[in-house]
Amino acid sequence: MAGQTRVRSLDDPTVFVETPATIYDAIPPYPPRTEREAEFYNLGDGEMLINLGPQHPSTHGVLRVVLKIDGERIVDLDPVLGYLHRGVEKICENGDWHHAISNCDPLEYVASMFSEAMPVLACEKLLDLEVPRRAEYIRVLAWELNRIASHALFMGWIALDLGGLTPILYGFIERDEIVEMLAALTGQRLLFNYLRIGGVNGDLNHEFMSRLGDWMGHAGKRIEDSQNLLNENEIFVRRTKGLGVIDRATALGLCMSGPPLRATGIPYDVRRAHPYSVYPELEFAIPVREEGDSYARYMLHLDEIRQSIHIIDQVLHQMPDGPCMAQIPRLIRPRPGRAFIAIESPRGQYATYAMSDGTDQPFRMRIHDPSYFNLQVMAEIMPGNLIADIMAVMSSLDPIMGGIDK
Amino acid sequence: MLAPVAGRQDTTEIRVSPAEVTDVMRTLHDDGAFRFRVLADLCGVDTGEVMQVVYHLWSENSPDWLRVIVDGLPRDDPRVPSMTFMWKGAEWAERETYDMFGITFEGNRDLRRIYMPPDYTSFPLRKDFYLADDAARSPGEGFRHMEQVRPPAAADRPLLTRRSKVQ
Repeated sequence: MAGQTRVRSLDDPTVFVETPATIYDAIPPYPPRTEREAEFYNLGDGEMLINLGPQHPSTHGVLRVVLKIDGERIVDLDPVLGYLHRGVEKICENGDWHHAISNCDPLEYVASMFSEAMPVLACEKLLDLEVPRRAEYIRVLAWELNRIASHALFMGWIALDLGGLTPILYGFIERDEIVEMLAALTGQRLLFNYLRIGGVNGDLNHEFMSRLGDWMGHAGKRIEDSQNLLNENEIFVRRTKGLGVIDRATALGLCMSGPPLRATGIPYDVRRAHPYSVYPELEFAIPVREEGDSYARYMLHLDEIRQSIHIIDQVLHQMPDGPCMAQIPRLIRPRPGRAFIAIESPRGQYATYAMSDGTDQPFRMRIHDPSYFNLQVMAEIMPGNLIADIMAVMSSLDPIMGGIDK
Repeated sequence: MLAPVAGRQDTTEIRVSPAEVTDVMRTLHDDGAFRFRVLADLCGVDTGEVMQVVYHLWSENSPDWLRVIVDGLPRDDPRVPSMTFMWKGAEWAERETYDMFGITFEGNRDLRRIYMPPDYTSFPLRKDFYLADDAARSPGEGFRHMEQVRPPAAADRPLLTRRSKVQ
C-alpha cells in the first residue's frame, strides 16, 4: 500500500484515480499477523477502508469497525474491540466474592440485574447453598422487569438508528417507569447491586409495589402503542425486512444466543433449555420467528415483552412469604471446585465459569457475554450490503459494548 | 481421556489431552446419541501449574451441561487445536483466550489479540501477572513492574503463583 492507491473517481465511477495513501489510516502500521488480517488489509482495485467508530452513535458504545468498501457496498469488515476493556475477570480474581458482584454490575449496563447475577449464582452453586424461595421469586421479578426495560430501550434504539426520533422517547418513558420502580427497590437506577450471595438485598417495599401496580395497569397498552408506532411504518419495514438474514446453521455455528438466534427459528432459551431459579414453576412461551432478518428480531423483542409481563403477573400471584436472605457467614470460602451457570439475559445466554480454590476470592471468573458472540455474525452477513444498512443490522443484534469488552 | 467421567450438580465433566480433543469434540457434535450442537462457552484457565482450555456444551439429549477440559498444557508453550472448523463462533473466544493466556489455537486463521493493543507482550489473566496493588503483598516484596514476570533479584526463588487446590 506504499505510495498511492487506486479508487473509483467521484465524478465517474467507472474511472479509477490515484489517491495519496495517507487517507488509509485504517491500515495498521505493522505487517499482518494472521492469514485473515493479510487477506482483509490487501485491497483490490476500487476497494478502500474506512473506520466506523470508535465514537459512532450507532455502535452503542465504543466499537470500531473497519469497513472494506467498494463504492457504497461493503466488501468485508473487521470489528476492533478493546476500547472499553477493564479486565473485569482479573479484577474479580483479586477481590473477594462480594466485590465481584459490584464489579460485574456494569458489564451489561442496560440490564445489570443479569450481569450482577453471575458471581452470585456461581458462588451459590459452589457453596451448594439453597436460596429462600421468596428471594428466588424476587429475583425473577427483578430480572423480568429489567428485561422489559432493556427491550423497550432496544425498540427505541433500532428506530433511532434508522432515523426515527420518536420511538426512543416512548422507549425511555417505558424504561424510566421501570427504572424508578427498581430504584425504589434497590436504591439505584442503573447499576443495582441488589442480588446477594444467598438472596437479595432487602425485601419488596411499599413504594416499589405501588409503582409496580400502576405500571402493570397500563403495561400491555404501552406495548400496543409502540407497536402501532413502528410495526407498519413503511420506512422502518423496508429498512429491516429481508436485511441481515441469518440462517439456522450460521447462527448455531457462530454460538449465537438470545433473540438473534430465536429469530432464526431455534427455540434455545436457557430458561427452558436448562432451567434455573423458579422458572420451571412459571408458565411462559418461548417466542420464535423463522425469517432471521432484522424485522424478525425486532418483532421477537415485542413478543418477549408480552411473555415477561405474563411472568411478572404469575410471580406476583405466587410470591411466597418468608425470608429473602439465607443464613450465610459473612466471610465466604467455597470449597475448591468448579461451577458453570448460565442465565437468559435480554441479549442471550449470559454464562459464567467460576473456580474456587478454597479462599475467599474467586480463583477464576470467566464471563461469557452473549453480545460478544452475537456481534461476530456481522462479518458473515454484511458483505454485499450498503454502508447505511450496517446500522440497521447492528442495532437489531442489540450489542452492549460494556459486556463485549469486559 | 485423562480422568474418569465426573459429575457434580448439573454438570458432567470429562478431561482429555490436546491430542484427542478434536476427535472427542467431533464425536460429541456429530454423533446422533450426543448431538452437542451448542457451544455454550470456551475459556482458558491457568491453574498456576498448567494451562487448561475448558469447553461447555449443551445438547437437547442431555439434562446436564457437558464440560470438556483439555488438561495439562505446558505453561511455556500451550497449544491446542482450534474448534473453528466446527463452530466458527469459537474464533473470537479463542482470540480472547490467546490474548489473556497466550494459548495458541492451531488452525484458527485469525489468532491475534482482541482486547489488548497489538504491541502488548504479556498475558494478563495468567497467575504470574500481578496487579500493581498485588505486587506489594507478594513474597517478592518491593516494587515490580506489572508486566515483568520475575524480577532479576527474585530469580532464584520459585515462581510465585496462587497455586490452585483445584486441579
